[in-house]
Amino acid sequence: MASVSVVAGWLICGIVGLLGAIILWKMADGTINLSRLISEPNGDASISRLQLLVFTFVVALSLFLVIVSGKPATFPVIPATVLSLLGISASSYLVSKGIQFSNPAGVEDREPQVKIAPVNPTVRFGGGVQQFTVDTVRLSSTAVTWSVVAGPGRVDAQTGLYQAPPVTAGVAPPQYATIKAESAHDASKFDLAVVTLI
Amino acid sequence: MTSLQTVVRWESALFLGGLYGIILVQLLTGRINTRWLLYGRNNGLRYFSPERVQLLVLTLAGAAYYLLTVLQMPDPRSLPAVPNTWIGLLGGSNSLYLLGKAYTMWGRK
Repeated sequence: MASVSVVAGWLICGIVGLLGAIILWKMADGTINLSRLISEPNGDASISRLQLLVFTFVVALSLFLVIVSGKPATFPVIPATVLSLLGISASSYLVSKGIQFSNPAGVEDREPQVKIAPVNPTVRFGGGVQQFTVDTVRLSSTAVTWSVVAGPGRVDAQTGLYQAPPVTAGVAPPQYATIKAESAHDASKFDLAVVTLI
Repeated sequence: MTSLQTVVRWESALFLGGLYGIILVQLLTGRINTRWLLYGRNNGLRYFSPERVQLLVLTLAGAAYYLLTVLQMPDPRSLPAVPNTWIGLLGGSNSLYLLGKAYTMWGRK
């Protein structure tokens, strides 16, 4: 009978281990998508979800440390205050969801968008440069194409590095250049920045 | 049975370590979305939210305090209790966050 329990123990250990390894592998390669693990339904990150995650992880890790340090290993008593802590966090999360779902604006998903930074930089004539960056939201590709749609200067179409033109006689500063970042995936999604040349 | 216990301990440690590692890396590299974590929305407009900041600070402080308490226990046989002060602080902090959220969702026009 003892040998049967040992065999069953090893079998369960193997199955659980294999299952854990598969789950971790799929998380790591993105098959299990964690990108919105702590996001609200509208796409913004959620502080109450993050709190629940942090507390759950801390209590789970503490539980593990206490169990493995016991000889023999036994399941410890969980104090009521720890349950209260998790209860506060989970209740807060639930109430937060209730408040959010009470208003349609709280659950509308964000539109796919492209956001340039900085939006209004100032660059000097005669070789001044400005590196633009772009943030894409809910687009399948982060690639954008850069261009100068109005005004002087040029921008690298791939990197977003803007270079001011040389000083030209008769052109009085300030001048303005409009930079566009357009999603390579969806041309209707773009953002503009205005450079002030001095 | 001792070797089985050793394997189970290692298996659990590797799973927890892997899980925490994957989530931490994805949080730090931006694969897990953390955009607008400290911002609320009111009528579609975002605003910086102090109630979220205080909740984040107290959450991280409370979590670190508890973990350090566990790590400093000489012979841990049970989970340490969370001091009532911390329970009160976190309860108040969560209430503040919820009140702020309710106010922007229902009260402010």
